[in-house]
Amino acid sequence: MGQERFADIVERFAGGYRDGVASEPAPDTVRRWQEEIERQQRRVQNLAEMIFNPTDPKVGCTPREEIFRTNKSRLYRYQSRRTHRTPVLFVPNLGISRPYIFDLLPGGSFVEHMTREGFDFYLLDWGVFGPEDNGLTFEDCVAKILPKMAHKVLETSGADELSILGYCMGAPLSVSFVASHPEVPVRNYINMAGPIDFSEVGLFGLWLDRRYFNVDRFVDTLGAVPADMVKAGFKLLKPTMDLSTNINLWWNLWNDKYVEGFNALNRWANEYVAFPGEFFRQWVRDFYQGNKLYRGELVFGGRPVRLASITAPLFVVGAKEDYIAPPACVRALIDAVSSRDKEYVELPGGHISLIAGRGASLHCWPKVSSWLAPRSN
Amino acid sequence: MADAGTQQLFELWRKQLEEGAAAWSKLMSPPTPPPPTDPMAFWRPMVDQWVQASARAFAQTPMTPDALAQWKQFLDQSIDAWSRALGQAMNTEAFAQMLGRYLDQWLVASAPIKKAGDQAIDQALQTLNVASRSQLTAVAKQIVELEERVERIEEAVNAVLRAVQRERA
Repeated sequence: MGQERFADIVERFAGGYRDGVASEPAPDTVRRWQEEIERQQRRVQNLAEMIFNPTDPKVGCTPREEIFRTNKSRLYRYQSRRTHRTPVLFVPNLGISRPYIFDLLPGGSFVEHMTREGFDFYLLDWGVFGPEDNGLTFEDCVAKILPKMAHKVLETSGADELSILGYCMGAPLSVSFVASHPEVPVRNYINMAGPIDFSEVGLFGLWLDRRYFNVDRFVDTLGAVPADMVKAGFKLLKPTMDLSTNINLWWNLWNDKYVEGFNALNRWANEYVAFPGEFFRQWVRDFYQGNKLYRGELVFGGRPVRLASITAPLFVVGAKEDYIAPPACVRALIDAVSSRDKEYVELPGGHISLIAGRGASLHCWPKVSSWLAPRSN
Repeated sequence: MADAGTQQLFELWRKQLEEGAAAWSKLMSPPTPPPPTDPMAFWRPMVDQWVQASARAFAQTPMTPDALAQWKQFLDQSIDAWSRALGQAMNTEAFAQMLGRYLDQWLVASAPIKKAGDQAIDQALQTLNVASRSQLTAVAKQIVELEERVERIEEAVNAVLRAVQRERA
């Protein structure tokens, strides 16, 4: 057999094999190729649209009202039928990212799900801190801001008790508050992907180890942790993330719904928020380097923070592929509290896909609302 | 037999004549430049092989969009493998140590530059009679403190109001 020219191959590919090796392509193959070509056209159109006519995705669409503000922090109450008597205070992370991920798009929003299920839902937005807030500490958040927020929730809802839901860093923040304020009537507590035992916290735990990371030099030099630094830290945690995101975008670029979701998520994923300097110092020193929350060595506002003093019903949700708060460090809360009614579930997905996206709407949100509903009346 | 021997001798003579003529013409003519190097020469066997393999693949199975899906799957698996390998490399004491050292060096190097830059900007703004960043930050801090004071007063007033309402009731 002599060597084939590339033109021969193309000719055979386009026209089939006349020498009996392969005959005319099957109609199904032709149809699928036509579909693929149409998709390719849609990809190019959507790419051109994204580059030359980018639209700002409408995020945070669930109606809400601001009921309290202190410094940069805001407390929002969302509209709902309020069929459950006990209000829910949702405490997300401070710094790192904006909280509209929890109300990203209609049909793909945790807040929308909870309000549709009839919960009186409150969201604490910690806000974007500036250099004037560099003196704000973790302790200030637990001993000063959270008590005010809990009080406002009880006041505006008229309820005697409230449920608290902490996500990510919001869990150690809110659980420290619950453990140090036994007088606050907490009916239920939920921890979603919130690290508790920092000896199991994975890569960040290793990188922030006191042998390698000098938090004092870091804060004393920079004053705060700039948003770009936060971004670099998270990008380093998963260096291939951007590449796989862009490949997946190209693959699904023909799908308008995917592009809409991507635009919203991409906007959120690139909007990093700085940490106040003193907050970061205490967060790294007491939690990552000292594991003081789990060991019961924290004292905030003159009150000891003992997880064992928590007796409220507890629900803990971990994500199997969470590399920011691995399941083992989230699950630790179950054994640390004195609650009798407690449950742990480990769901598929990662740190973000636990709370946002289609997977979350199928696996996570219904579990949270169905656990909370019978305990909220 | 004699004919064959004559023929052999004739062929030998002809060959010698031709080779001699060639040798003489080579000696008399100017030296020929070496043929230009082909940059593709090294890759050609591989490209030819790839073309042949593709031709065989096309001949055996008709090309369908499934091949693209398989390519995507291959890409995903490769990235995943890279991600795992990098994850393992970064999950070591050596990497943490290197990262910490790099960060320390960067902080040590950037601290005096940052300080000098801030001072220069402050001086420039002062010359222009414009408020500097540190002055604005100080004002913002005062506003935050003022807000906290107002909040505390508000709380105290509300507590008094609630107590009065309770007494009236």
